[in-house]
Amino acid sequence: MSLKVSRLLDGDLTSHETLDALNSVTSDANERDRVTVYTLIGDALRGNSTPDDGYTKRIMERIKREG
Amino acid sequence: MQNHDPDAELVRLAQAGDSRAFEALVVKYQRRIARHVARYLRSAADVEDAVQEVFLRVYRGLGGFRGESIFYTWLYRIATNVALRHVARLSADVSLTDENSEERELAFEPGVTDGALPERTVMAEQIGATVQKALSKLRPQLAQALMLYETENKSYAEIAEMLEIPVGTVRTWIFRARESIAKRLEPVLRAQRSERW
Repeated sequence: MSLKVSRLLDGDLTSHETLDALNSVTSDANERDRVTVYTLIGDALRGNSTPDDGYTKRIMERIKREG
Repeated sequence: MQNHDPDAELVRLAQAGDSRAFEALVVKYQRRIARHVARYLRSAADVEDAVQEVFLRVYRGLGGFRGESIFYTWLYRIATNVALRHVARLSADVSLTDENSEERELAFEPGVTDGALPERTVMAEQIGATVQKALSKLRPQLAQALMLYETENKSYAEIAEMLEIPVGTVRTWIFRARESIAKRLEPVLRAQRSERW
């Protein structure tokens, strides 16, 4: 399944496959983890390896509060 | 150079109300946006506040995004505007509250700091070094495919053409490269896993 996560991040999935991948990411902690780690790897290769440190969580919390 | 928007499907789903799709976009771009905003703002708290505001504005404005540019270009433009507004507001605050405001204002130059806390900087260095080491251990073809995608902004199709391999092989090589690096990163990241998305 992680191949689908890799392709999800690269925009290589059809509509149906994207929904399927999002379902997996939502229900499977390992797949969810892969999204974060693959993204971090890409950023690190571009010279930005700052850890997430709850950044995403706080962004989404603010959106829930104020969005 | 990629000429299609790799985020088109996630954006379409987010526009239709799928919060998971929007969250995936946040995960994908929050670090890039934080780095961009940090060119303008000096404190980590200001950077984080600005990044949150960027994604809040994107969330609110998503319905009006028509795809005239790729999503990341639109996001980047919003980030620049938010950062500049923060700079203006912070400069005004300093002028109102500080007797030495002129001196402070002169010192308020964009890009003075990356806005990172010391412990984040140390962690970032560990991650960066681990990724580079893991990259050097990969089969050269895998490393090349991943680097072409991540740092040269090449599409799968362009990489396939350059390396004279099928597109299916490109997607497999990129996945295998990521997976191999991820395994080597695991011990470094374990400590902060509970905080990740």
